[in-house]
Order: sequence, then structure tokens, then C-alpha cells
Amino acid sequence: MSQTTLERAVEDVGPLRAVFITAMPDCLLYDAWERAEDGFEVEEIAAYFGDLVRSNRQGLKALGSWSSDMQVTIESAESLVVIREINEHFVCGCVFERSAPLGMVRLQMKRMIERIAEMLPQVEAQERPRGVRLVEFVSRYAPDPHAALMRISVRTGLTMEQLEAAEGLDADAVERLESATKRILGLTQLSV
Amino acid sequence: MSDAISQLKSLMPGCDLTFFGGAPYVFHCHHYNLFHDQSVDDVLGEEAGFALRSRAAREAFRPLLAAVFDAAGATLPVERIELATQIFAALGHGRPSLSVSSDGTGVATGTHLHYGFAWREKYGKQVKRFDPVDAVAAGFAAAASELAHGLPPGSVEGTEVNCVAMQHEQCRVSLSRVAPTPLAEPLAERMMADYVKPPQRGLWEDEVAAIADGLRGFLGGVAGDERGLVHAFNVFVTAHMANYYNETIFESVRALEERSPAVVGAAESLFREAGHVCVFNTFGNIILSPEWESMVEKPGDDPERIVMSCLAIARSLGFGHWLVPEMKVGERMVMRTTTNYEAPYYLHRYGRSAKPRCYITTGAALAIAVLAHRVKWSESPTLDQAYYDALFRGDGLGWEAEVTRDQTMGDEVTEIVVSRR
Repeated sequence: MSQTTLERAVEDVGPLRAVFITAMPDCLLYDAWERAEDGFEVEEIAAYFGDLVRSNRQGLKALGSWSSDMQVTIESAESLVVIREINEHFVCGCVFERSAPLGMVRLQMKRMIERIAEMLPQVEAQERPRGVRLVEFVSRYAPDPHAALMRISVRTGLTMEQLEAAEGLDADAVERLESATKRILGLTQLSV
Repeated sequence: MSDAISQLKSLMPGCDLTFFGGAPYVFHCHHYNLFHDQSVDDVLGEEAGFALRSRAAREAFRPLLAAVFDAAGATLPVERIELATQIFAALGHGRPSLSVSSDGTGVATGTHLHYGFAWREKYGKQVKRFDPVDAVAAGFAAAASELAHGLPPGSVEGTEVNCVAMQHEQCRVSLSRVAPTPLAEPLAERMMADYVKPPQRGLWEDEVAAIADGLRGFLGGVAGDERGLVHAFNVFVTAHMANYYNETIFESVRALEERSPAVVGAAESLFREAGHVCVFNTFGNIILSPEWESMVEKPGDDPERIVMSCLAIARSLGFGHWLVPEMKVGERMVMRTTTNYEAPYYLHRYGRSAKPRCYITTGAALAIAVLAHRVKWSESPTLDQAYYDALFRGDGLGWEAEVTRDQTMGDEVTEIVVSRR
């Protein structure tokens, strides 16, 4: 989807500040639109929104109350953020002005998602190797990101070169990688 | 701290090494301390890492406590326990409450032990922790218990059962008796003559020496607050046993050399990275502090002034005699140590190394060049994690370090050539 296309999909949505389209399951930025030069790190934000939706999905499934049309709404001091899973391949995160009435936002969100959904391509997503996704995940969320791969290396016995080419890791190596990732992030399970 | 105890502190002239009760000590901030211990645990795993760290702390603090008890004329267990607590707090490690029976068993508790408290402050909102962090307090309490009751070295072991880093209300260390283990003979001031080399003069030598003296005097007056913490220069500072740092680094690297040689390079990179963490947080925040401005100058953007400042800071912290004999701004910096706090320990304990092992010094040299050339000091930057990542992560570094000589290998000096990539 070109920038022009996304711009057309969000026109007339007055209080909207930014839109991020995340390609799943790898949480990669597909497209973004910003009304002003807010200086957002668009790739990072898209990745965080993707992870958030995935975690939310896991949590709701654990509660037995998951449905495919779920929507996450976050009311922060500065903005109103609504994140919605468009389909299994794409997540849309929208940042609205904080002053926008919630009812109006929901209505606009519904119309906008319909327009965006029509513009998105039909894709057959190919999931990347789990090792690659784990390396990206720990690099994104480790408390000392500059040291994340070195920490994983000494914990797993996998060399830095192996971690940088994680698509070639065998099942045992991926298991060690997952275990080290959980330990570093203080998590008992990963929904990567 | 009484005069008799204060007099146990000494400086080895020309070497810029500091000692307390004959035991070498240095200053490090909580960013470094947490990263250091985390790296040890990464290499060994949490359980073995905690065991090594607590043992190293017990061994490192024993000579200091013995000297303090002797100087203060403290002969009764209750006096010794009380004095030990005061010393630990004065060094910035927190103020534990120690309750020890005559057989050496007991508990130590605290809400503001340096490691647990600092971990919660730095990482607590980002990640959960499954394992306790206060191995230093556990080792210290074990040493205090042994000495208070005249027990053999290595006969008391501290195990942390609760820790504020794990979201417990307070840290709790359980002290139990174990079969005494022989201690490695700790490196002490009296042995240093075998390992230190005559000082050399570097660029800006007189100014470096004068500032180091002034800052050393300032640090000498710093002591723990009512919590037993030293909050200065925007970080939590500890005066800590150099033997602790050295034993934990060298033992973990050597264990990895046995177990998994393919990834030793990553472990060595982690410990060099610890040098970056130290320089960025401790050196950087000292340079940006009001105290520095009143003692030295308001920092500007001249790389040579920043390098000069860092050398003075390193010497004042007890890191050894660091100097820069050669520098071409924007291109190259040669940093040399005629003495540093790492090499004497390695040589004393293991003999000559076949490869460079002054990890912290090497990492620090690179970080000094980066800070000198890439930070806009005149804009008073905030030295936070985001800025650290921007400077040091991935290709952002822009500089590389080559160790050309290393005292752990028997060379006369340690020398690191830092060049722009």
C-alpha cells in the first residue's frame, strides 16, 4: 500500500495523529501515516503494537474470551491509542488526539478499518523461522539491548555468528535460545 | 568512621591504587555493578553465578573486616557485628541488620541493600526477576559472622532467600554453616610491589595528577546515608573490593574457556562492555556534576579536555595509573596504564596469560574516546539508556580498540590504541 493510499483511507478523520500498519506474525512495519512531524520511530512502534496484539490475543484465549474482532484501547495522558487486528496478517494501530470523544473515535475507527482492509493485499504469510523471531524479540525488549546478543551467546553456547544467522539454528539450539530469552526477559512463557 | 579505621585507608604513590585495611578497593556505580554481576550470571547461570559472587565477596571482605576489627580493638562478637554493619553502610552497600548466633548461623536483612535496591530502581519496571541479586551482601554477612565468632574461613555461607529485586518487601540472607573451604590468598597491598611498574608521565600529566588528588579527597569524604547508600553524581556509588570484581570476572571467563570455548569471545566482549558502562555512567556523570564544575570546569566540547578529565577520574577512583602518551583528535588515542587494578590480581592468582585480560581497562579506553568525540558536553546531555544505545550499540560506535600490550601477559604496561573506524 503506498503512502498516498493510506492517506486517502484516513482522510476526514480529524482527531487522528498517526496510523501504523503492522504485518504479522513478524511485527514488521507495513505502512505508516503521520499528520505532523512527531518524530515517531515508526518501525519500533509498529513492532510494539504487533507484540501487544499478540499478547492480548494470548491473554484472551487463556480467559476463553478471544474473538477475531477484538480491539485494544489505551487512554494515556497525551493520546488515545486504538489497536485492532484487521485480519490474521495485519494489525492497525491508530493514535488519536486525547481530547477526541471515545464514541466518535470508535465510529471513525470502524469506518477507517473497513477502508484500510479493502486496500490491503491478499497475502499468504510465510512465517519466518522461530530462531529469527526470538533474536529480534530479545533484542527489542532486553533491558540492556546493546548486550542482548552477547548475553544470549554465553547463555546458550551459540556463537554471535550463529545468532546473526538464526534461520539456520536447529531445534535444540532454538530451544536453548528460547530458554535464555525467557530468563533475560523474566518471562515464564513467550508468545513469539 | 573513627580515626583509627580511617587511617586504614591508603594510596600507593605513583600507582593510583587505593587500599582499605590492606585490601585494594575501587569506586564503581550501580550501573556498572549490576551489569558486572549480570554478566557473571550470564556466563555461569544464576545459581553458580550467585555462588561465585558470594564466595568472592566473602573472601574479599574478610581481610578488610579483620583489619578494621583489629584497629578498633573490637573483640566481642556484638562489637564486631555492629562495626561490620557500619563499614558496609559507609562503603555505600546498604545498612543490613545482622543477627548471628555463636555458631555463626543467623540472618541478615535489609530494605536498601545496594544491589537489590538498585536493580529494582533500574530494571524493576522493565522485567521481572526470578533470582536474588545480593550475593555481595550474602558474602559480606558470612565473612562478618566468621570473624565475629572466630570461625574458620569459608565456614559460613550466605544464601539470599528473599530479595527486593524479586518484589519482596525486604532482602533476607540466611547464614548457615558449611565445611570450611580453603580460600585463595587474597591480593593485598603488601604484595603489590611484585606487580606494579614505575609511573610514566602522559599528556597533561600535572593537571591530571592535580585533579585526581582533588577528586580523591572529595571521594574520601563521601559516606553512606541513613540507608547506607551513596547517592552522588546522579548514580549510586560503592567503594568496593577490587578482588571481588577480579575474581568474579576471571573465574567466569576461565570456566567458560573450559566449558564452551566457542563463545569466550562474547563473554570477553561483555566484560569490555562493562567498561563502557562504567565510563559512560560514572565518568560521564562526574563530568556533568556541579561538583566537577566547581572543582575543575564546566565541560566543553574539546576532546582533549574530556580525555584528560577521564584519566583524572580513573586515577581518583583507584583504577590505577592511567595516561595518554599520544593523541590525535578525531583519529587516534593511545591509552596506557603502568598500573591498573585488574592485572595484579590476574598475575598473582594465575600467572601470565596467553592473551590480553584487562577487560575493563580496554573497554574504558574505547568509551573514553567515544565520549570525548561524540558527546556534546556543552549541551549538558542526559546520560540515559537511550543515549547509551545511540553511542555504543551496533555500528554507532565509530571507534575500535586494539590491545597492543597487556600486563596480564607480562608486558611492562597495558596499552590500548583506539582509532576511528
